[in-house]
Amino acid sequence: MGSLLRAILVGLVGAGIVHALVLLLIPYVTAADVWARLERRAAFYEVVRIDPASGGNMLHLPDPLFEAAACRIDLSEGIVHLQADGEVPYWSMSIYDQSGQNIFSINDRTSNEGRLDFLVATSAQLTELRNSQAEDLGTAVFVETEVQEGIVVVRAFVPDPTFEPTVSRYLAGLDCSLR
Amino acid sequence: MLKSILLTALTLVIALGGGAGSVWLMIEEVPDFGAMTIGEWSVNPTEGTPQADPYAKARFAREGELSLGIAEGAQFIASRDATGQPLRGACDYVVTGSVPASRFWTLHAVQPGAANPPRAVQSLALLRASSGSFSIALSRHPAPGNWLQIDATGPYRLVLAVYDTPTVSSADLAGITLPRIVRERCNG
Repeated sequence: MGSLLRAILVGLVGAGIVHALVLLLIPYVTAADVWARLERRAAFYEVVRIDPASGGNMLHLPDPLFEAAACRIDLSEGIVHLQADGEVPYWSMSIYDQSGQNIFSINDRTSNEGRLDFLVATSAQLTELRNSQAEDLGTAVFVETEVQEGIVVVRAFVPDPTFEPTVSRYLAGLDCSLR
Repeated sequence: MLKSILLTALTLVIALGGGAGSVWLMIEEVPDFGAMTIGEWSVNPTEGTPQADPYAKARFAREGELSLGIAEGAQFIASRDATGQPLRGACDYVVTGSVPASRFWTLHAVQPGAANPPRAVQSLALLRASSGSFSIALSRHPAPGNWLQIDATGPYRLVLAVYDTPTVSSADLAGITLPRIVRERCNG
């Protein structure tokens, strides 16, 4: 009887350990992972639409009045320049790490004159850039991240269907490239 | 000998079955305890960020979707009306009240199995009373004033998305007021 009790107790302690392990491992082993889905659709620095209208929704509770585009970046290859021309009623941008967690976000009010013009860099790259001071960096806003590989998402508001062509063109013209 | 094999097997079954099963239960069945409830609405300010609790992270990873960032906006979700009854397409509701300070907001319904892409209403194209208050009718049938069309008779969730808002950190969320969802009539 004592050994049965001991077996159950050890089993329960083991269940606790398994619980913690499974819980912490889930984010690393899921097949429906955003990064993997995006990898299948587009190469690094290639901009693709990820809203429901594009057929491959990757947004959590997507807003029917928004369109969104994404690109994958790899900062180990260099600093990434994000830019879009034109004007839309509202845009916002987020950077996600490989597991799809939001690590940085900004909207058109917090950017320079409402323009989407960013340089994404790691802190080491930023320090190097500041020390060199040789290049003309324009009016781009620096975004410092700690991740090497990530996903950049730009969302834009479509107040009514007449704005749809403007917003689509804006997102299609999004430039996500190494500088 | 046989006894110790059986006991070892029992230990392993409890450890593996109990461990994996309890994770599944926590993720699928237990409501999101990182979420805050404000009236009918719930919001999880840390969802999809590195600050989320491990259960929210696991749930989110399984869904494989990207959430709104703090500077972008916040999403409030309601699946029940003001009396606590689940929202159903067979009923008509009216949404009235105030929305936290923001540049603009949108309201749409998420309905599993809806045939058409969801529709939405947004605050910049809303009919308002002279006092600035608004009311939105949720119905399958056309309604005067602001109308959010619901597709099917089944249950649905409402998503209130508030963009460019200063009220996203959880300290600010505690004091805000959100619209009420009042049931008008049901047909079936």
